[in-house]
Amino acid sequence: MIAQGLDIVTTAAILYAVATGLLLVFGVMKIINFAHGGLMTLGGYAALVTTQMGLNPWLAIPAAALFGGVAGMAIERFAVRPLYGRPLDAILATWGLSIILGQLITIGFGRGVQFTRSPLEGTLDLLGESYSAWRLALVPIAVVLGLGLTALLQGTRLGLETRAVIMNEDLARGLGINSGLVRFLTFTLGSALAAVAGALITPLSSVDPNMGVPWLVNAFMLVLVSGASLFSLALSCLVLGGAQVLVSTYLSPVLGGLTIAVLAAVLLRIRPQGFARD
Amino acid sequence: MTAPATNPPASANDTPALAVENLSSGYAGAVVVREVSLALQPGEIRAVLGKNGMGKSTLLKAVMGFLPKMGGVVRFEGTDATRLPPHRIARLGIGYVAQEKALFQDLTVEENLRLAVRAPDFAAALAEVETAFPFLLKRLRQRAGTLSGGEQKMLLMARALATGARLLLVDEITEGLQPSVIDRLAGVIRDARARHGTTMLLVEQHLPFALAVADRWAVLDRGEFADAGATTEPDAHARILRHLSV
Amino acid sequence: MTESRRLSMLFIGFLLAAAVIGAGPYLLDTYSVNVLTRSLLYAAVALTVDLLWGYLGILTFGQSVFFAAGAYAAGLVFTHMDFTPGNAALALGLGVGGALLTAAIVGWLAFWHGASALYASVITLVLPIVATQLLYTGGEFTGSSSGLSGFTSFDISMEGWFWLAGGFLVCVTTLAVLFVQSDAGRLLVAVRENEQRCKYLGLDTSRLKITVYLACAVIGAVAGYLYAGYAMVVAPELAGFVFGTELVIWTALGGRGTLLGPVIGTLIVDYESAQLSGDYPFVWQLIIGVVFVLVIVAFPRGLLPVVADVPRRLFRSFLKRPARPVASVRLSTLDPALTQGEAPGDGPALAVEGVARRFGSLTVLDGIDFAARAGELVSLVGPNGAGKTTLMRCIADGAERSSGRIVVNGHDIGRRPPEACVALGVGRKFQMANVFETLTVAQCLQIARVRHARPSLWRRAGELHLPESAMHVIATTGLDRQLGTPAHLLSHGMKQALELAMVLALEPRVLLLDEPTAGLTKTERMQIGAILIDLARRQGLCVLLVEHDLDFVREISSRVIVLHQGRIVLDGSVEEVVNSELVKQVYAGSGHAGIQHQAAGREEVTP
Repeated sequence: MIAQGLDIVTTAAILYAVATGLLLVFGVMKIINFAHGGLMTLGGYAALVTTQMGLNPWLAIPAAALFGGVAGMAIERFAVRPLYGRPLDAILATWGLSIILGQLITIGFGRGVQFTRSPLEGTLDLLGESYSAWRLALVPIAVVLGLGLTALLQGTRLGLETRAVIMNEDLARGLGINSGLVRFLTFTLGSALAAVAGALITPLSSVDPNMGVPWLVNAFMLVLVSGASLFSLALSCLVLGGAQVLVSTYLSPVLGGLTIAVLAAVLLRIRPQGFARD
Repeated sequence: MTAPATNPPASANDTPALAVENLSSGYAGAVVVREVSLALQPGEIRAVLGKNGMGKSTLLKAVMGFLPKMGGVVRFEGTDATRLPPHRIARLGIGYVAQEKALFQDLTVEENLRLAVRAPDFAAALAEVETAFPFLLKRLRQRAGTLSGGEQKMLLMARALATGARLLLVDEITEGLQPSVIDRLAGVIRDARARHGTTMLLVEQHLPFALAVADRWAVLDRGEFADAGATTEPDAHARILRHLSV
Repeated sequence: MTESRRLSMLFIGFLLAAAVIGAGPYLLDTYSVNVLTRSLLYAAVALTVDLLWGYLGILTFGQSVFFAAGAYAAGLVFTHMDFTPGNAALALGLGVGGALLTAAIVGWLAFWHGASALYASVITLVLPIVATQLLYTGGEFTGSSSGLSGFTSFDISMEGWFWLAGGFLVCVTTLAVLFVQSDAGRLLVAVRENEQRCKYLGLDTSRLKITVYLACAVIGAVAGYLYAGYAMVVAPELAGFVFGTELVIWTALGGRGTLLGPVIGTLIVDYESAQLSGDYPFVWQLIIGVVFVLVIVAFPRGLLPVVADVPRRLFRSFLKRPARPVASVRLSTLDPALTQGEAPGDGPALAVEGVARRFGSLTVLDGIDFAARAGELVSLVGPNGAGKTTLMRCIADGAERSSGRIVVNGHDIGRRPPEACVALGVGRKFQMANVFETLTVAQCLQIARVRHARPSLWRRAGELHLPESAMHVIATTGLDRQLGTPAHLLSHGMKQALELAMVLALEPRVLLLDEPTAGLTKTERMQIGAILIDLARRQGLCVLLVEHDLDFVREISSRVIVLHQGRIVLDGSVEEVVNSELVKQVYAGSGHAGIQHQAAGREEVTP
């Protein structure tokens, strides 16, 4: 029971870390960033480089943020901005960029599966269960991430302007807010978060050029059922991630892999606004 | 009310606050405003009246850069604003009060004000709000969507004034309001002009309000100015009403 | 181009393509024949992506699943049962049946009324994920991650498979081209362009989408079946998201909405992939990725239109400018004996009883009661936000009102969707001209007649029968001289007239017009006025129109209903309205005393 509870909480934390960047971009720009998977892979390789250089594994996080942010700036400027007003095409263009990222990484690092050092090795004893220390550490990290983003959105001028653009872009522009700049910064931040998520999950598994792609659809479904709210996202991650853990445990791990996508699709059919307030 | 019956005589540095020349605009395929020209002197309040669908809101949206200008030129204090995007136009010192969806309903009163006020001195902006609508200072933490309709319109006006904009474009601020609120808005508008010399272009359907606050009026009919005059002329009311109703 | 010329051109194209396929194995080396057989089958699936995305506007990532359904049906039957002709037929049946069942489920999920394009795409994205995972769970039965191989299959030579695959592709492509150029095929573009207008022309767009989706599933399943027969190996990747997106990439590169583009794109990219991926595997994928992004950003129509444009650009100076498009359709007046409109019932043509519309706590319409006879022309006036357009919407769509009853022609509309209200005799013209921008005038009119005259799946009709009222509008406004002009090139007034003619082509009994004269010149307004009077007096239509221009109202209408803040303030003659103090106050903006204030929920599009 305890192990399962921990599984649910840690799974939700991982999903939350993976989906926040996508949520930000979706909220502000109303497009789904299919390069999210590729950017996660990029973050995974940032962690790998950190390991290979023998640096402190915690440095993987800022390194991933840097790589992801720079890649995001380029993607926004050259692929997303021209497609403002063609949202389905923006999905395709970002998917193409995901392919490009994956192939560049393959050329640079090879196809093989590689491993990174975890910032926290070993296990922790919690409530009588011996549990992976890094998985546990991801819970406070996800909480910090969520609180940090909330503070950014709620407590700063930029955050206020971002929320204004999410709610009503035309009105924001009429008040002198440069919504183009807000979009650019949001995409950059969202990309950096994607890469950070990639760096966070690598110690749990491994690094390969397609590692981000399987996460994409789940993250995407979670964002769709959450609307543009960080709080709804946390709720969706707990409910759907929890369902995934239960299905994996009691039915089959493979069906568990489908749980989030299928539940979200059905949920959206019944209640198009998903977990969002209205 | 001391309204100049005619435009003051032109002098050397007498650039109009807003100059619109031969402006055409509209929506895909449909020209709604046709080659409209107008010039507002600094401190002038002009009311634009007309029935629904005659192009009043389109005129304001085109000046603000929300709608494409199919032809013509817009100058603000001599600066060419024809090709600027809306946020640059706003930053020139133009405040736009849209007719609908003009507030962030889910944000607080304070956040709505802060978004519009770009100057670092927010306290000065709040002082301006206090002069106009003191009740808003007690409601700063309240969500704008929970204000009553009249209070929302007062917040809109307060926000526009708090930015220190030198030109306000106001779209039917009186729509659906109680007479007492309309009187209050009229007082605030006249007072703001008296203290800051703010120029205003008001799109209105409420004739008594328009005649009470504006110096001059103009009637838009199918995208063109059909009639215009000073609000002090005795036949203004009758002339406008002829265009407005049956 | 005449219809017979179009069909012969298509036939010649078919013969040429068949000849190329026939000659292929004699001209190509064995390796190429082998690789191209696969590419030909993939191209058939890419064709279905184009039908759905390029024509119908549904971006689909899941066509791989239907391919896999056919392939796995063959693989499973041939692995677990003997290979006999009977079992081969069984496998084909299972594959097609499985694909149809899957498509039906997806269609139910993705194409319900009100589903957004993004949601539909999301469902097609989930589909391959689910399918792959299910194949993984199949264990021994489906061969899990390694799939099925080593089963016996048809005894056909490699050339034979090439001809089979090529023949299938050529047939499917020819049929697809025949279909999309036909009267029925044009509906796909109409739905993509303007689904709302389609519904208000009485078309069940959800059913149309699901039908096309089912047909595409069958094509995919047959292609997959042939693939399994020839490759003698099936793997879960066939159902996967990666293959699904590759199909989209090939379609985008070739040129969406061209059919030939995606086919050629698939053949080239898949063949070249096989050639180059051995030597430069990652670089090749990288190049595809870069080209794909460039095409999406810079040439959204794909490469085929760009390439096809080159000769035209080169020789532009030698060619004369294309003549004004000539319509291939003749209009004629429908024999009045053949009109199929709803017969006028007893009692009022339109009865509105206690109708209210609320958005949350906000009441936009309240206690609306009135009835109108056939032949009556009722004007609805009132200031901004009075609820005029909301009332129109409540009459044309049963799901709109919060309470009350609306009876059209003696039938309660209940909660019926717009297309069912059209069947009861409601015709609605929108405020902003709402037509199919890329279609020609004649094509727009044809689509308006689809409800009455079932369109051919492969032919283009040379003649279009329209009811007298629509013909009258067309003749008066001169639209008959512009039948071949795409609607987006029409003037604003002409567009308004076209939409009116389209609505009249429905043979409605109750005509709803939202500001039909907005933005029109004086002459155009007078024309429309004369037409409306004629419709009411001679054709016996019940016309309800929203109008701001009271001079116009006075000329055409005997009865005026004044709405203010969601309620009927006055229902009377033009003179009564003109002389009413209350109405004057309403229009001068001071008629608010005692009337509940409303802050939002305004429905008007105010230009």
